[in-house]
Amino acid sequence: MMRMMHGMERGMVRRRRVERQSLLLLVFLCLLQAAVGVAADLAPNDPRTMRFPTVEFNPPEADRVVLDNGMVVYLLEDHELPLVTINATLRTGSWLDPAEKVGLAGMTGAVMRTGGSASMSPDEVDEELEQLAATVSIGFGKESGSASLDVLKKDLKRGLQIYADLLRRPAFEQSRVELAKLQAKEGIRRRQDSPGSIVGREFAKLLYGSTHPSARETSVRSIDAITREDLVAFHQQTVHPNGIILGVTGDFEKADMLAMLRDAFGDWAKGTVPAVTIPAVAEADFKTGMVRFVNKDTSQTHLRVGHLTIKETDPDYVAVAIANDILGGSSFRSRLFNDVRTKRGLAYSVGSGLRASVYDEGVWLMRAETKLSSTQEVVNRFVANMERMRNEPVTDTELEEAKEAYVNSFVFSFTSASSIVGRLMDLEYDGLPNDWLQQIRDKVVKLTKEDIQRAAKAHFNLERLRILAVGSGDALSKVLAGFGEVKEIALVPES
Amino acid sequence: MISIKRARTMGVLLVAGLLAAAAPGLAGSPSLADRVIEHKLSNGMTVLMVERHQAPIVSVNMTFGVGGVNEQVGQTGLAHLYEHMAFKGTRTVGTRDYEREQAVLADLAMVGTELDRREHEEAARAQLEGKPVVASPEVQQLQRRFKELQEKASEYVVGNEMALLYQRHGGVGLNASTGKDITRYVISLPANRLPLWAALESDRMAHPVLREFYKERGVVMEERRLRTDDSPNGLLYETFTSTAFQAHQYGVPTIGWGSDILSLTPAATEAFFKTYYGPNNATVAIVGDINPKEVIALIEQTFGKIPAAPPIPPLVTEEPPQRGERRVEVEWDAEPALAIGYHKPTIGHPDDFVFDVIDEVLTEGVTSRLYGALVREKRLAASVLSDTNYPGVRAPNLFVIAATPLAPHSVAEVEAAIYEELDRLKTEPISAKEFERVLNGLDADLVRSLRSNSGLASQLAFYHTVAGSWRYVLNARDRIAAVTPADVQRVASRYLVKPNRTVGVLVKKAPDKKVAAASEVTR
Repeated sequence: MMRMMHGMERGMVRRRRVERQSLLLLVFLCLLQAAVGVAADLAPNDPRTMRFPTVEFNPPEADRVVLDNGMVVYLLEDHELPLVTINATLRTGSWLDPAEKVGLAGMTGAVMRTGGSASMSPDEVDEELEQLAATVSIGFGKESGSASLDVLKKDLKRGLQIYADLLRRPAFEQSRVELAKLQAKEGIRRRQDSPGSIVGREFAKLLYGSTHPSARETSVRSIDAITREDLVAFHQQTVHPNGIILGVTGDFEKADMLAMLRDAFGDWAKGTVPAVTIPAVAEADFKTGMVRFVNKDTSQTHLRVGHLTIKETDPDYVAVAIANDILGGSSFRSRLFNDVRTKRGLAYSVGSGLRASVYDEGVWLMRAETKLSSTQEVVNRFVANMERMRNEPVTDTELEEAKEAYVNSFVFSFTSASSIVGRLMDLEYDGLPNDWLQQIRDKVVKLTKEDIQRAAKAHFNLERLRILAVGSGDALSKVLAGFGEVKEIALVPES
Repeated sequence: MISIKRARTMGVLLVAGLLAAAAPGLAGSPSLADRVIEHKLSNGMTVLMVERHQAPIVSVNMTFGVGGVNEQVGQTGLAHLYEHMAFKGTRTVGTRDYEREQAVLADLAMVGTELDRREHEEAARAQLEGKPVVASPEVQQLQRRFKELQEKASEYVVGNEMALLYQRHGGVGLNASTGKDITRYVISLPANRLPLWAALESDRMAHPVLREFYKERGVVMEERRLRTDDSPNGLLYETFTSTAFQAHQYGVPTIGWGSDILSLTPAATEAFFKTYYGPNNATVAIVGDINPKEVIALIEQTFGKIPAAPPIPPLVTEEPPQRGERRVEVEWDAEPALAIGYHKPTIGHPDDFVFDVIDEVLTEGVTSRLYGALVREKRLAASVLSDTNYPGVRAPNLFVIAATPLAPHSVAEVEAAIYEELDRLKTEPISAKEFERVLNGLDADLVRSLRSNSGLASQLAFYHTVAGSWRYVLNARDRIAAVTPADVQRVASRYLVKPNRTVGVLVKKAPDKKVAAASEVTR
């Protein structure tokens, strides 16, 4: 199966952010389209010379309302199907976890959903939701939490009651807390089962350090330390209406919906909402290169090669994003895919990824899985392709292809009411201006080959490169010796 | 943790419910039955279309009735390798000069095939004699010649040009997949780019060129390592499935056995294409902002020119009835897991609709019986799932239950608790409330799947290919609704019995400190 390379490291990136990031890249190139979209009939049957006009589309605009208690609500009606979806972004997250109770935020979100509410037992919640074929999901990530309701229109009123109750008055029933702790510990026992899980988590620790909020992990001890009272307190301290952005889409009338939302949330008092602050990694801690391996009995070497990088708000962000796109971020079109996979046949999944947020340092990385005997060649190709990005400008064709791809696929950022509203919520949550996408687009339109080379020179750094390989340990240390002093990361058994 | 239900096979039940129930939900618009426009070309290709004008985009799902079941012994993985090769271009796309390239590719295939054969012989002999493999002078000469030809061939290649064209034109979700029964090629495009799709796809249906063959064989080997050899669940399911099916091709891994992949030839791949990729074996579903009349005209002008291929060879092998439980273990450096499979009839059989109900009652949602008993009450398992049509739907298949124990509980405890719940199905009728939940879930899932152009296209093309007509889904919900509690007891008593089951267990084993053998040669 031809899996597409997403260029993103699973487990290090919130889904939300990944989606927005691709959006940022997608948006900007509208202006270029005029030059691209020429008339279509030069050679009508040759796909290589076909031209089409830009698709015209004015996506619907959402309304933004602020309730008296500070809850922000985006609404966008969509009457195609008899369904209503409510998504909330909550100003909480595991960045608030105390060092000795890592996992607290995650468990709070999980048991908000499973632990019942002030008016219903856990079983009553589950039974009623499933009888209605409605879904409520609650989960807390690193920099935010999310809570969603997906319900048939006919059951909206009841669904919203249950959803609001779980958000505002979760019961955290003791037996469900215990179950969540058992499940969390089983997850810990199983997280070293597959090399893919090991390489993602260890690479994050290698870049950020093992105590940083972007890399730290739960342990049996940290889970054991969490009590029901901790969950109650974490909810009380971090979940407030003035920290919530709500997005409502689907088959409803705006005025009715606002009345229902005021009923459900209007009497919820404001609280103190902390601004997300994640400690910076000291430059001394990430400016040096490292080579590490983890011994696991595998048939392939699972490789990650990269370093910390800029935030999304950095002036160079757009140029780095396009440089990454051409290097390895764009699947079939990228240099790494063509070189390592297509021409050399050395990997199935290969590419590069750029993950940047507004809160802390981002990650730029190259990745592949390849058999032991080609491991050295693949790392060599990573370095060579990275150096080529630094030492020579990309071609006119590559830059044009990258821009066209973004312009022409831009329409896919507006395929549904929920995608339109979700984007607005993300921008507001991150404190980015309304015209953020406009600003990005303006920068991209002006991008030149020289800009991209300058960005690659500044932000793809050989001397900072950290290499992690998971695979056959004894052989790996020899294979990697040419890239620096090789040390083993010894995994401690989790069970 | 394992997600076989939605990930490994098409969610048949899910799909069925969705379409049938959607009709009443679409206020003011005709039912799905009226919205699907079907057109058949004279060469046998079927086109299914649904207009959705919410955004100027279109999703296309091209499905061929070919998969792992169509492979011969010694050539496993061929269907999947061809799927990869289908991205290598045609006589015009992906080449700088096809005339010259063609001659080099012919030589390369000849030398490569001979080299494979000779290397295989020498390796076998060395193994017999207990000596290291040392290439003979003849093989060394073949290797040099092969390398020269490969380098020469690469001069003509425009790498990944087909994918590049889709990407430049704003295509998203470009992908393909190979299963036991079907092979699919999918893309979503801005709606006005459909002529690009028709040009590219009709070209690769008529004139594919198997360039970069040996490199792609290496890519597929890496894919096998990633998905199977380095994945505890991948290994468990490969072994479990080949234990359950001893005659039928469902027992063979779709990705292919490693030694088979490394022996596949350009000639066999070409022959496979000619046999299975005719327009008469293809269904394309197109959903989005389209004008069906224009689409039909476009497809007639492009695909319509391709002649039909001979009818595809019938599948003759049937799995004999299982007489006695089969148990198999896979040792790996991972926590334990369990898979239990029961042979059953496939879609279309009356008992299959009963299995849809059983599947939902046992594992769908947190109020389901197995989740409630194993995960919540007894706390024996971390997860439990089921799949009612594993690993395919064109032939009798398996009802599979998969679970992971929660420490310190053992696989044996989990297994016993599962059998206890299966016995309950035989002795107690399911409740009206459980049955209502199943139907409500079905109906809602059907409405929800209409949210996505690509999802709808996928379901239409899937059922048309495996069940003979997309209309199969219109009846499925009613057939499920007609299932009685007595049916559930009867079917459970007949199929969910020890002699009919296969049990696969992943057993934790401490890692060996060993250096992996590097036997494969990179071409």
